[in-house]
Amino acid sequence: MREWKHEIRKRLAGSNLRPEREAEIIEELSAHLQDQYSQLRAGGATHEEALRAVIAELDATDLLPELQVSEEIVGRNPAPVGAASTGQWIFDFLQDLRYAARTLRKSPGFTAIATLTLALGIGANTAIFTIIDTLVLNPLPVARIWELAAVNTTQQKMAAQSGELQLLSFLNFKGFRETTHSFSHLLGHSNPMAITMADEREPRRIFVEVVTANYFDTLGLNPFMGRFFFASEDAMPGTAAVAVLGYSAWQSRFGGAPDIVGRTIKLNNTPFTIIGIGPKGFKGLYAVFGPDIWVTSMMAEQILPAPQRKALSDRAIPLLTAVGRLKPGITLAQARAEMNIIAAALEKEYPDVNQGQAVALRPLTEAAYGPERQGLLFGSALLMAIVGFVLLIACSNVANLLLSRAAARRQEIAVRMALGAGRGRLLRQLLTESVLLGLLGGVLGFLFGYAGCQFLWSLRPAEYAQNLADLRINPSVFGFAFVVSVLTGLVFGIVPALRSSRSSVSEMLKEETRTVGRSRSRISLANTLLAGQVAVSLVLLVVAALFLRSIRHEYTIDPGFETKHLALFMLYPGQAGYDQPRTEQFYKQVRGRIAGVPGISFVSWASNLPLWGRKETGVTIEGQEQRKKSEAISTVVNTVDLDYFATLGISFVAGRDFTQGDRDISIPVAIVNDTMAAKYWPGQDAIGKRLQLPQGKQFLQIIGVVKTTNYQSLGEAPQACVYLPLRQNYSDSMILYAKTERDPSATVAAVQNEIRNFDPALPLEDVRTGTKVIDQALWGAKVGVGLLGVFGLLALGLASVGLYGIMAYSVSQRRREIGVRMALGAGQSDVSFFILRQGMVVVFSGIAVGGGLAFLLGHALSRFLYGVSPNDPLSVGGAALALLVAAFVACYLPARSATRVDPLVALRDA
Amino acid sequence: MAPVEDEWKKGSAELLILSLLEAQPRHGYDIGGLIELRSGGMLHFHVASLYPLLYRLEKRGWIQGRWIEKADQRRRRYYRLTTEGRRVLAVQRKKWQAFVGAVGRVAGVEHA
Repeated sequence: MREWKHEIRKRLAGSNLRPEREAEIIEELSAHLQDQYSQLRAGGATHEEALRAVIAELDATDLLPELQVSEEIVGRNPAPVGAASTGQWIFDFLQDLRYAARTLRKSPGFTAIATLTLALGIGANTAIFTIIDTLVLNPLPVARIWELAAVNTTQQKMAAQSGELQLLSFLNFKGFRETTHSFSHLLGHSNPMAITMADEREPRRIFVEVVTANYFDTLGLNPFMGRFFFASEDAMPGTAAVAVLGYSAWQSRFGGAPDIVGRTIKLNNTPFTIIGIGPKGFKGLYAVFGPDIWVTSMMAEQILPAPQRKALSDRAIPLLTAVGRLKPGITLAQARAEMNIIAAALEKEYPDVNQGQAVALRPLTEAAYGPERQGLLFGSALLMAIVGFVLLIACSNVANLLLSRAAARRQEIAVRMALGAGRGRLLRQLLTESVLLGLLGGVLGFLFGYAGCQFLWSLRPAEYAQNLADLRINPSVFGFAFVVSVLTGLVFGIVPALRSSRSSVSEMLKEETRTVGRSRSRISLANTLLAGQVAVSLVLLVVAALFLRSIRHEYTIDPGFETKHLALFMLYPGQAGYDQPRTEQFYKQVRGRIAGVPGISFVSWASNLPLWGRKETGVTIEGQEQRKKSEAISTVVNTVDLDYFATLGISFVAGRDFTQGDRDISIPVAIVNDTMAAKYWPGQDAIGKRLQLPQGKQFLQIIGVVKTTNYQSLGEAPQACVYLPLRQNYSDSMILYAKTERDPSATVAAVQNEIRNFDPALPLEDVRTGTKVIDQALWGAKVGVGLLGVFGLLALGLASVGLYGIMAYSVSQRRREIGVRMALGAGQSDVSFFILRQGMVVVFSGIAVGGGLAFLLGHALSRFLYGVSPNDPLSVGGAALALLVAAFVACYLPARSATRVDPLVALRDA
Repeated sequence: MAPVEDEWKKGSAELLILSLLEAQPRHGYDIGGLIELRSGGMLHFHVASLYPLLYRLEKRGWIQGRWIEKADQRRRRYYRLTTEGRRVLAVQRKKWQAFVGAVGRVAGVEHA
């Protein structure tokens, strides 16, 4: 009987049958052979003859191929009845899965800790990926985004000043649209602009974009409700007062009212009819910031602020970014070449306004970010790398846990091997277990990540929250979380599984008496993992500390103007239907009244918000006209009222402030900053020199030079700036600046009251203090640093827990050794020192490696740091110290417990 | 008599097995022996093709095997015909008769 089984098994080698199935077949066939043998013997054959005959019978046909055909047949031949199994591997997989689930259920403590550890790592990754997916990977929910390109102009063909992108004037845009053959559609859209919206309730400030009628169709969008613009509604100036409301503005400003389509609202005091709601999640063509509402370009005169009101007829007024859909087969380079030919023709036809203009054509995916693109991409990559490291730490922690468990499961594995489980089979079983753990962690991690994202998004500045991109959980986020979970399971599972399944049965059984030697090699692998964790944690902590110090420096940057005692009130009298004389009267009277409010020392008006400076390119300097041809002179331009410099605490270097005498009938004047004076009139007195702004009709005489401040961002490189007097440069939307004697928040209400008394119809929801302006400017950086800090601490926590776990395990494994040492006279302090040393050696080697890595990384990051050297001793030292303390505690606790080992008990147990 | 051509054997094997199980459940050795006995030694299935064939029929759901232990014997796997198998057997029988009849008419061999 035995021989038959042996013979059959030989012939089944490599069959890949399930073990149970194989055993069954062997039993059945050997019974048959035995019967045959018995019959032959009964018929008088000798043992040898019968044996030979039976074996010959067995080998008359090739067993294995026949069997494989039968066993596989079901897969190919859809079974008629009762055959539920659909292939060996699925069966194996399900079996493994059931087994794994049982194993994990049996040790809930291990499962809980491993799942939580992984969930933290996977959660961090999911959160960051969701944000990157929203902002970078899938920024705009438009059709076939890769076919779309944005068209702007730049001043001059000169390479040195390629940076500044400009908007097209409406007439130039028309020129491009009528001539181009590269694009099947070309739309135009303005930047989002603040306007006043009024319905039955209080007037409010919202953001509008002026767009051409083909805007939504070119992008391939469908209205959520109602309809988009007809071409006829964008044909004659001022005729079709219709608007498309954004989905989130509809939700937040109108409470999602179902009867919104057909409603009339007032935009800048002109009644508009809402004809449709934009698609959900669409907020214009900038990835980060978008409008609440869209109107057609022909309504520009009703919507735009006073200086731009002639935008439809004046070729010098920049208004639109063009976005076109490339015709099939046309490349970006071909389109660029064509657009440049059109630009050259426009330059020839209208040389005074189009001189030196070249076309900048970029894919929309790139144009969607504006100048923040670099920072955003860098931040995304850095954060992704960091959470990747956090996940690695989590993986190595769980790998260590699994290694500890593998020791406990040696028996089980040995038994499985003895019963005939192959190494591949065993490996698959162990990996199924770790992948299942990874998936458990993934589910929990996904929830963590989602909650984290929601929390992060809730930190957006309330003023803009609804104009900022919405968080979108795309299917790709689920895919990402799933793939990361499975990979995680494989990563932390592979090494322990390989080790567990490597040894032979006999070795395993022998091992029962050789625990020490084996666990040494186990511990050395664990130590390598630990040192790696310490190194990575240190790198993360150093990076977080560097950026933390950097942002603290940014807060102490002197922007060059008063912030602590400053309050700002945004007012748009033109948008409330004031005409020019009434607006001018308004400015004068409000300034007078507010100056009388107790606690206010100075009051003024200015067109720019601090750190939101408006720039103009194409300034002409008298006597240096040639220069304009080779260099696009650009400056920040700010229209200000009397006392502006006193209100903001900006001091004069030379000349005088604007006075009552600088009026529309006197000579046009300007004040420049010292950066501009030094750049264009080096070694000369700038006072009395003259310059002309790109849209200006006259030369302006310089009457004063003031100190340079920050105009667009904190800590920026000095920029040129030109100040214009309000009385010579009418604008209907200005910001009221008030310098207070004490904390401005105390005086804000009094000022608001004063303005309301003046005219209750003026919207006054946007009031800020100077410190808040700074806060907002640093908001993005602050959130980034906060994230870095959280992830750094997470890494530290995980690494400490991992260190503690492995030290505690090592102590428990070495109880006997410790017992021997104590029996031989080692004192408690010797023992704890010995254990502590063992742990701290690992920690120090990790710190050494991590320090080196942090040094390299710090230098790579140095250009993103402000006022902090990448070797900043405080950051590096602080991070190393924090790590050392945490590591010491993690090693000390097990070391102390080692001293409690009773030599007698330890030796007896062993 | 020379053994029947392999191809013929293959074509008829399923029918043979199903027929033998029609009356009662049988184990593999029994089936093999009966085929040889009843065909007067003309048909013989080797062990390495008989069992794969049984497994194939079982997977198709035509027969069903079950381990049965009897006193003083090794346990054996007995196969019985399922309802589906019974249906298939009826169809195959009919087809086989038609086939043999057709071959007979064409080749001029007397119907058995």
